[in-house]
Amino acid sequence: MKKWFSSVVLFIFALSLVWAGGQSEAPGESEETVSQEVTIEFWTTQTQSDRMATIQVLVDTFEALNPNINVKLVAVDENDMATQINTAAASNTLPAIIESDTESIVAFGAEGLLNSEAISGLIESIGPEKFYRGALSLNESAEKGVYYGVPYHGWVQGIWYRADWFEEAGLEPPSTWENILKAAEYFYRPEINQYGILVGTKAEAYTEQCFTQIAMANGAQLFDAQGNLIFDTPEMREAVEYYAELAKYTPPGPQTWRARDYYLQGKMAMFFYSTYIMDDLALESDAQDSLTNSNFADLEGKSFDPELVENTRVATTISKTQEAGYGTILSFGIPAHGDELKTAAAVKFLSYLFTPNAYVTWLHMAPGGMNPVLKEMAVNPRFQNDPKGIFQHYGKEKMAEIIQGLNSIETFSIVEGKRMAAASTIYSKQIIPQMIYRITQEGMEVDAAMDWAEMEMRKLME
Amino acid sequence: MVKKTSFLRKALFFLLVLSIVLFSIFPFIQMISISLKYPAEWGDPSLIPKNINLEAYKELLNIGQETKNVPESVLTLLEETPDLSEEQREAILSKYRSTGDVFPFLRYFLNSFLLSFFAALVTVIFAIFGAYSFSRLRFPGRSVVQRGVLFVYMFGGILLLIPLYRMFVSFGWISIPQGAFVSLMIIYIVQTLPVSLYMLGNYFRTIPFSIEEAALIEGASRFGTIWRIIIPLSSAAIGTVFIYCFMIAWNEYLFASVFLKNYTELYTLPMGLKALFTSKNAIWDRIMAASVLTATPVILLFMSIQKNLAGGLTEGGVKE
Amino acid sequence: MFAQRMSLQEREKVLGLVLVTPAVAIILSLILYPIIYNLYLSFFDVNPMAGNTYVGLENHRNVVTDPTFWKSVFTTIVYVFSTTIGTTLMGLLVALAMNRKFPFRGVVRSLVLFPYVAPVISVVFSWQFFFDPVNGIFMDLAYDKLGLFSSRFNLIGSPSTAVWVAIAFSIWKNFPFSYLMILARLQAIDETLYEAAEIDGASGWHKFRFITFPEVYFVMGAIILLRVIWNFNKFEEVFLLTENVRVLSVYTYYKAFVGTMELGQGASLAVIQFILLIVFILFYVKRVLKW
Repeated sequence: MKKWFSSVVLFIFALSLVWAGGQSEAPGESEETVSQEVTIEFWTTQTQSDRMATIQVLVDTFEALNPNINVKLVAVDENDMATQINTAAASNTLPAIIESDTESIVAFGAEGLLNSEAISGLIESIGPEKFYRGALSLNESAEKGVYYGVPYHGWVQGIWYRADWFEEAGLEPPSTWENILKAAEYFYRPEINQYGILVGTKAEAYTEQCFTQIAMANGAQLFDAQGNLIFDTPEMREAVEYYAELAKYTPPGPQTWRARDYYLQGKMAMFFYSTYIMDDLALESDAQDSLTNSNFADLEGKSFDPELVENTRVATTISKTQEAGYGTILSFGIPAHGDELKTAAAVKFLSYLFTPNAYVTWLHMAPGGMNPVLKEMAVNPRFQNDPKGIFQHYGKEKMAEIIQGLNSIETFSIVEGKRMAAASTIYSKQIIPQMIYRITQEGMEVDAAMDWAEMEMRKLME
Repeated sequence: MVKKTSFLRKALFFLLVLSIVLFSIFPFIQMISISLKYPAEWGDPSLIPKNINLEAYKELLNIGQETKNVPESVLTLLEETPDLSEEQREAILSKYRSTGDVFPFLRYFLNSFLLSFFAALVTVIFAIFGAYSFSRLRFPGRSVVQRGVLFVYMFGGILLLIPLYRMFVSFGWISIPQGAFVSLMIIYIVQTLPVSLYMLGNYFRTIPFSIEEAALIEGASRFGTIWRIIIPLSSAAIGTVFIYCFMIAWNEYLFASVFLKNYTELYTLPMGLKALFTSKNAIWDRIMAASVLTATPVILLFMSIQKNLAGGLTEGGVKE
Repeated sequence: MFAQRMSLQEREKVLGLVLVTPAVAIILSLILYPIIYNLYLSFFDVNPMAGNTYVGLENHRNVVTDPTFWKSVFTTIVYVFSTTIGTTLMGLLVALAMNRKFPFRGVVRSLVLFPYVAPVISVVFSWQFFFDPVNGIFMDLAYDKLGLFSSRFNLIGSPSTAVWVAIAFSIWKNFPFSYLMILARLQAIDETLYEAAEIDGASGWHKFRFITFPEVYFVMGAIILLRVIWNFNKFEEVFLLTENVRVLSVYTYYKAFVGTMELGQGASLAVIQFILLIVFILFYVKRVLKW
């Protein structure tokens, strides 16, 4: 009996080991070769499989050129990045490279998880003057010339709107506080299941992104140039109140970027979104080609609109007391794992990614959504000739304007050119989104919610 | 048992059964409906698609996708990297063509299946012996074990994550795929074992000792009675416990996402589905189609098992 | 038998220990260690890079003085109580129905298992879509077709109502387990008991009350205990469906993992949670299961 029992157990493990081993590419291959051979892990937030496949081509090409460096590509969801990095740090399994939004990079850097020396050296070798200044300074630590990460690509946020509806109603484009509110109110008709605007009301990053641009337009800041928290100002209060007002014209309940579907279905007039929507809209119009309108002749309502892509326009800046643009830069960081061989390999791989050829390949994964941070790349003719015809559709000037926008991204983390690391921590703890959630979903008073947020921020800064 | 029942009672009973069935399967109907709709129809609440859209399934199952053309940017990259040899170029290209599946369904399925099946099998074997021991045999510390087993289980699962991960990392298991796979399997065994012990222990106690006693007097060993009396008599309960363990492992997401993160080839179905959902372009038809594909195999599996289960039960196999 | 003159009792002892050892060993090594480790962490300010500093009871104090913690305790109690009762009653009802003979019973029995068998993640999206305020069927029926409400609202998203969706989801997902356990017990009931009762002229209710109920009492007691323990620590079923139902496990997750990790506080939360549950279990085991 015993014998039977143990042989079953052995058999089970043997079988699953064979399976697990067979599933991976030749495990142990790297162990047998010379000591100079090195395997590095590269964590990317580009989790979509088609993007992974393209990045894998870049990795393969790099490996072919550098036979003793192996790069292992790992996809990590952006919302999981902090958990995964912290788990890895706790167990001493930090990767060699991470690609993430700059706020996270700086937050990790401030925690001491990143090797700023290696990254600063890389930036020096590429030439700091070749970068858009704004994109680079977002990565800067408190010390001048020392960076936590190197910027690579970025997107710009805007309000996308139904130009045809606006025209019909005689409304101005949504580029000022006043115009936005007016239009949101006008188009909000819940009785026919139509909504005015989408702003984030869930406690997540999208909400902070919408809010930041609105607050910036009113000159509100989290910190002054000396690094003092100045959350409780009239400007900030106005912004919060205004945002809460806008949220009333959003589809019911907590919402996030996924609600852009309602726009695509013709049930919403405006929504905040990144330039990634260009790619999505291009897909949409592809789908439209394959379906003639007659397929849907009997469909009730107005849920399919072949003119949607044509009728969509974007306002990339918002103004109240000043003009504000918003976007996100994605950067690379090199975690401080203490292995010099790996660090050198990581720097080498990153340098490769900045070569024009590799760079264009990366950016063309999502034209419109991925924009370069090197000045010369923005005017590179091959870059401008994108496969989805987005440059053609929106025009080179509009695209140039969008890419230029990367240079003037304003976030709470930069005040008069100084990097506020505490702002990144506040961002990564999602305090502002939580505050907005409390106001719009739990019915908390603006004053109480702001007091709560300020208290949380002070707690974090201790 | 069935007496003459009035028509009304029959109708009411029928209604009850109907609503139970509807309650149980409605979400699945919803899922199938959306997976077959064109994006333009998502806004329409009707359950029946006006036009059937099979694109999502085709894409997920990789049917008719082999003509997928390589993006220009990739081709140019390879052409304009002069240091590459022709073979290297070909190798990279063919790798590109073979990867990039949106949802390698079969692989995820086999991963999930092997993991869950073996975890459940091992758990059930350990649990039968353990539960028999503390429901039938007297030994010091029995009551401590009996109660302790459940106390241990009351600790919130998410906080076990980091210590366990650290532990397996320090064994050096996470750095190789087999190690990560087995670590996860062990974790599933540990997570399901306490409850299995408890459930089987409870069940064994309802089996009258008299049956076993007869066998023991005739000279059968304890193992013999377990094998020939306890297991057949409690096959339904053991089956249920097995289902329970299998489901826990099949459903689990959090631990899998940390332990298998580095091995895309070893992703389980829930991980694959979650990855699909979090990718920005994921849209409802694909998510729902993937949901259907994730749920279907395990449903089919249990429908076949359940027949045996129910058969054994209704044929009076449990009757003394 | 003859070689070793051990008494029957002694042999039982040895065999009992031998049989239970593998199970206990694996549980001890893999659950007890993390628990102790957590207990240890709960007294420290944890920093993965800079090392831990001893802070005594500060973590525990911070947790207990936070009003959101008590709110979350309340949510958890509502969730656990409702789901436990709901799942058990639903399981009993379905088991009683399925124990009667009717056409297509085999098919129906299979269909009823669907919710339990399907992975959580494969059904949450369907539930989310069903309750979508703009496109979902629920609002279409309740608002447009039946006019039950004065406006569309987000049942699954709004914090005040989401917990009820989470409860409904949990009942839907888990009732088949209770049903299976109860049915197995029901089928083991000797039918002659019912026949005898019928001869005595007992009503349906009496048969249930005096024959069925005593037979399933302990199974139901056990199911309730398990359900309480499981649902008290339930994470995925709540978190994947709707993030804003802050039951304790979700609350801990946000504390410990989101943004900058506060592992020390997370650990102390886990310890407190553990104590709360143990108090309940001790009471329950003594009173209801009479161990």
